Amino acid sequence: MASEKKPSLGSAMVIGGCGFLGHHVVRLLLRDYTTTSISVIDLRCTRNRRPESDGVKYYEADITDADKLISVFSEARPDVVIHTASPPAQSNDSVSHALFKKVNVDGTAAVIKACQTTGVKALVYTSSASVMSDNKSDLINADERWPTVRGENQTEYYSETKAAAEELVLLANRASPAPSLLTCAIRPSGIMGEGDTMVLYHMINIYRQGRTGVQVGDNNNLFDFTYVENVAHGHLLAARALLLTSSSSTVPLDHERVDGEAFLVTNDSPVYFWDFCRAIWAAAGSPMGTDHVRVLPRGVGMVLGFLSECFFAMIGKPPTFNRQRIVYSCMTRYYDISKAKKRLGYRPLVSLDEGVRRSVKWTLEQEKVNAEKK
Amino acid sequence: MGAAQQIAYFLLHPNELRSIAQWKVWHEPVHRRDASKETPTEKSCFHFLKLTSRSFSAVIQELNPELLMPICLFYLVLRGLDTIEDDMTLDIKEKEPLLRDFHNIMEQDGWTFDKNGPNEKDRELLVHFDDIIFELKKVKKPYYDIIKDITEKMGNGMADYALNAEHNNIGVGTIKEYELYCHYVAGLVGEGLTRLFVESNLANPQLLVRMDLTESMGQFLQKVNIIRDVHEDWIDKRRFWPREIWSKYVDNWDDLFAPANREKALQCSSEMVLNALKHAEECLFYMAGIRDQSVFNFVAIPQSMAIATLDLVFRNPAIFERNVKITKGDACQLMIESTQNLRVVCDVFKKYARRIHKKNDPRDPNFLAISAQCGKIEQFIETIFPTQDPNKVRAGLKQEDPKMDALETFYLIAAALSTFILIGVLMIGIAWYFGARFDQVFKNIDQKIAGTVTSSVAAVTSVAHEEL
Repeated sequence: MASEKKPSLGSAMVIGGCGFLGHHVVRLLLRDYTTTSISVIDLRCTRNRRPESDGVKYYEADITDADKLISVFSEARPDVVIHTASPPAQSNDSVSHALFKKVNVDGTAAVIKACQTTGVKALVYTSSASVMSDNKSDLINADERWPTVRGENQTEYYSETKAAAEELVLLANRASPAPSLLTCAIRPSGIMGEGDTMVLYHMINIYRQGRTGVQVGDNNNLFDFTYVENVAHGHLLAARALLLTSSSSTVPLDHERVDGEAFLVTNDSPVYFWDFCRAIWAAAGSPMGTDHVRVLPRGVGMVLGFLSECFFAMIGKPPTFNRQRIVYSCMTRYYDISKAKKRLGYRPLVSLDEGVRRSVKWTLEQEKVNAEKK
Repeated sequence: MGAAQQIAYFLLHPNELRSIAQWKVWHEPVHRRDASKETPTEKSCFHFLKLTSRSFSAVIQELNPELLMPICLFYLVLRGLDTIEDDMTLDIKEKEPLLRDFHNIMEQDGWTFDKNGPNEKDRELLVHFDDIIFELKKVKKPYYDIIKDITEKMGNGMADYALNAEHNNIGVGTIKEYELYCHYVAGLVGEGLTRLFVESNLANPQLLVRMDLTESMGQFLQKVNIIRDVHEDWIDKRRFWPREIWSKYVDNWDDLFAPANREKALQCSSEMVLNALKHAEECLFYMAGIRDQSVFNFVAIPQSMAIATLDLVFRNPAIFERNVKITKGDACQLMIESTQNLRVVCDVFKKYARRIHKKNDPRDPNFLAISAQCGKIEQFIETIFPTQDPNKVRAGLKQEDPKMDALETFYLIAAALSTFILIGVLMIGIAWYFGARFDQVFKNIDQKIAGTVTSSVAAVTSVAHEEL
């Protein structure tokens, strides 16, 4: 790739660029693309910062503050905006609901307004594959034709807000008052990687607590996990496609257009759910095979999950183990990413196998570094 | 297997006996060869087909009459070529010209060859090769041209390998070399067969455009055989596993067979299985392009046998100790399932992919890659036969009844509460049964409390006394 000329993205801005996904987007921008400038907006810019020599400009701003956003955009003058900012999808209480609404929906509306006001050419939004899931039915090789699940059918408010925000973004494509703004959305599934505080963190904790010996369900359910670098890659391919469309005088045909569209992005390698868990545990140093594993039928798991919810409700704490997690570990949920392959030219840069190795290694090293600081 | 052992085996595995009976009694060939109308040379060809191929001869003889003889002859010509190549008693100086010129030799009326060693099991084929040549003359020109072309390519490939001293002494080096070898011995066969199928209009011409699918058909079969035959080849001092793979696990090829290295050997064989599994999707894709039922049967049976064999060899230490093969009952079941339609064959592939996945071991360096490859097979099958329809999913959202959830929750709560109550009642009942005196409980409480109060008063009094 060194001999290859790097494609240009003009002036690029990454919103949420100090976050888990965002800082990988910044890293890939520097590695694989040329830009006239790179800007980052985040609530706090102390984490995941690039060294000064990279020339990345950092702005601290709350994206729900529309006026502040417009002022930052006016200074940075981005051509391309990649909007990755989102609260983590972990909790499900009224405080989190308010935060999801504020950041995901209102914040995204503010971003769109800032783009329209300052002449941005392309906006790529990080949506989620979970917008297609009702959190209990299987999704078997689902593609973008599957409906988004909204309203009372959607049991996760996080996904409701991601779907609402995605809709706002796609409706802003070629829309007044800024018809030159092109938009699209990326729907990643099960992101894991360096900087991961959710998937990997919990998996490694289970290993540390010696709880690798229980499996719920028959482990024939396929799940799509995606290594974070591949998600970042998908975003940048989309941004590049939007810029090319923007500079073209003709409107692309329906089967090849990128603007106004959503794209599923995965590792293109669905794996059996518990195999993924075991791969992480093995990479973290577990010497165990599968001889010690006890298999619980799904029904038993559901009852235990319910009892756990009752117990934690009585002592007034959020449950660490509940029915929804049982459902997730027994659910089939994998996607057909043909659309991203055809229209964006997307292919995973890093295999899931390699992604797991890198991520676990990084996570363990971080723990060591943090331990030394104490 | 002795007769008594066999009887004992079937008594313990009645399903297998049922599969064998089903295949023998109920299988109705799409086409059946009529021996009574054959000339002596035709009979001779089919005789040699049976002699040299126990597994393929049955399915070849059920082919569409248009292709029956061309494919029979194609098989015999390649077998003849292989018999020459395989014979270690022939000097390379004699062997090489024979291999390279075989596509012309097979046009010489009356040509035969009697210099194979006495132990070469298919030598009789070459001793009577004049019968094959006679029948080749009768094949339609387009089919003949295909057979000749493949014979030339294959002969040259085999000659190159025979001359390659490094290959003979050291074995296959890289994965690329391994796949090139599989191309010459099996991929070309697939190419020839595909061209015959398309020429006779029994398969989709797109298969000629997608030669990668054809290549995968041959590679898959050959790789499975190479993995399964590892011990037999080791005994014969041949090796086909690429050094690029086995050198990750052992320093010397022979170390792979030492019992102390069994776990390393299993991991090595896992990587070989992973390498073979990547062809499975393309094999299914290829079979989707077949139009004629007898041709479908002809290509599907070996592929199903191959995926079943792959499951058999996966993480199986026996492959390093002896020859392994699928049981006769399983073979008959596979043949029944392979002679239906693509959907049934997809189910076979899915079933065996899941069996491989089930045996997968997290300590294996290729654990997640194998899991992903099995997942890919399932995903590919979903693209041909989708389980879900997006329109039905959309309709399902609107019709969903929210009360079901509440009802389920109620039942769950009721079940939990019932369990608590039941356990509580049982505990009290058992306690009473073993003589617990509940009527004494309250008296005891009263006495204890009184005692405590008395002690406290005494303590206070004592303290007061000391102060005075």
